[in-house]
Parts: sequence; C-alpha cells; structure tokens
Amino acid sequence: MTIWIAIVAVGLVTFLLRASFIVFADPHRFPHLFRQALAFVPPSVLPAIVAPGLLVRGDTIDASFGNPRWIAGLVAIAVAARTRSTLATVLAGMAALWLLQWLMG
Amino acid sequence: MSSPPAPSPRAEFLAGSREVAPTLVGTIPFGLVTGVAAIAAGLTPVQGVALSIFAFSGIAQLVAMQLIAVGSPVLLTVTAATVVSLRLLMYSAALAPHVAHLDRRWRALLAYLMTDQSFASSVRRYGEPGDHPHRHWHFLGSSFTLWITWQVAVIVGVIAGSGVPTTWSLDFVVVLTFVALMVPVIRTRADLAAGIVAAVVAMATLGLPYRLALIAGSVGGIAAGLAMEFAHRRKR
Repeated sequence: MTIWIAIVAVGLVTFLLRASFIVFADPHRFPHLFRQALAFVPPSVLPAIVAPGLLVRGDTIDASFGNPRWIAGLVAIAVAARTRSTLATVLAGMAALWLLQWLMG
Repeated sequence: MSSPPAPSPRAEFLAGSREVAPTLVGTIPFGLVTGVAAIAAGLTPVQGVALSIFAFSGIAQLVAMQLIAVGSPVLLTVTAATVVSLRLLMYSAALAPHVAHLDRRWRALLAYLMTDQSFASSVRRYGEPGDHPHRHWHFLGSSFTLWITWQVAVIVGVIAGSGVPTTWSLDFVVVLTFVALMVPVIRTRADLAAGIVAAVVAMATLGLPYRLALIAGSVGGIAAGLAMEFAHRRKR
C-alpha cells in the first residue's frame, strides 16, 4: 500500500512540476535568484547520481584499479564529450566494463 | 509575394514525430533498463508500469524505485523525485508563453507529455520565424512519439526483468545513460564547479540513510554554481 502511495505521489509531483508554468502560473513572476538556481540543477543532480554509480561497490567506496566501473565511466565520459550520443556512450561504457571484467578475471 | 500556407496539424504532428526519431535509439535502451530496474528494486510488474505511466520520467522513476527498495518514507521518496525533476519546472517556464493561448485541457496534456527531448525540439520549432498556428501539434507529435516508445520499452523491460543474468552488469547501463545526460549540460566553468562539488558532497554524505546524499550533493552543487556566478560578476 505504501508503495502505491509513493507511486501516485511521485506521479503527482512530476506532473505539477511540468504543469507549473504551462498550466497554472505566469512565467514572468519568477524571482531571479530562483531562476539562476534552477539553471544549476542539471549540472549538480547528474554528477551527484553518477559519482556514486561509478565509485561505490556494495556498501564501500572503491576508487582502486580493482574497480572497473569508474574506469569504464571515464571512457563513457570521453565518448559522450566527443559524440553527444546516448547510444555510443552506453555501448562504449558497457564494452569497456565487460573488457575490464574479463581482463580482471 | 504570398507566403506558403501554414503546415496543417497533421503535418506538424508528423514533423515533430520525425524530429525526435533519432533520439529513440537512446530512449529504447533507457526504457528497457528502467523496466528491468523496477523488477530488480522489488516492484511488481504492474507497479513498475504504473510508476512509468504516472511519472513518465526515467530519472524520477529510477530514483523513486531505489528509495522504495530501501523502504524509505513516502515523503522522502517524493522529495528526492522532486529534486531530480526540478529541470521540468525550468522547461515549463520556457514553454509557457508559447502555449498560453491554448485551452487548459491542451496545456495539461502537453505538460504531462513534456520530456527533455520534446522540450528541446519544441523550443526549436517555436523559435522559427513565421506565422504557424499549429505548432502545438509539433509539440504533441514529438512528445507522444517519445511517450509511446518509452512505455512500450518499459513494459518489455518489466517482462524481461528477471531473465537477465546479473553477470552482464546491466545495472551499469543506467549509470551510463546518466553520464550521457550529464556531459552536455556542463558547459560553463560555473557548471563544472557545481558538478564537482555535487559529486564530492554526494560521496562524502553516502553514509546518510535513504540516499539523502543525492539531495545533499545537489544542494551543495547548486550553491557552488551560484557562488561562482556571483564572484564572477563582482570582478567585472
């Protein structure tokens, strides 16, 4: 039951964020500082998701060469910077991960 | 000299649909992985698909299911989903003036369907010169194409969910899709500062329960970005 409440509530907030200005509000009445802060949301949220995804194994931080994920992540970042392609980034990152896992046995 | 007739609603819809077609090569694997992840997080197939239809956002869905999996309180799940979805508020503000003339039902429909890619293609279309009264059909065409593709991919992922061996490390695909989203949004030095601080704070606060590190990192990054911008302005 709690899961269903969470599902509906998450749906509701994502809709309200999308609808905020399109459906309800006047976009010109928007504090300047808030607008500036919003511009930094994507470059902040995404690294906060990616860094633990690359560096955490199980419950511990592993930045050693025994952890193939952050190395494969660097390969993916380089490919993303060059190609701007989601598919190329995912393929390069997975290829690097599988290769490293195979090399490390 | 008379200008050519404005494109019909149908032509606008199809043009919007065609415009986002190349991005579907990213949408399909992302949707599949999100569906697989829902099962891995302990949701039932019906719950996984329901979350996808209600939230219709890969990032919000993934964050929500991670938090549901560790049994965090609903309020915290909603807060985290809100933080990772704040960019939608930005998009809404940017598109609002273009759709202000439509009735409320149209605006609610477009709002529900809006995503990163359909926002990008609609902003581009609205920026084109000339009198095109049916451009909201372009918005609808791009958004609906992404919506149906996403839902089908998630459903397939949910069904395939338990069949994928863990040695394939398919969970890493999710991290990689975030890498692909992350790299293009880091454009200025202030963006880079925000990103580095966010990553460091998120790593330093990993011990916090319910993945609060994501919120701590995001807030730290936004503060760092704003500080960089103010420092830069004072110098001039």
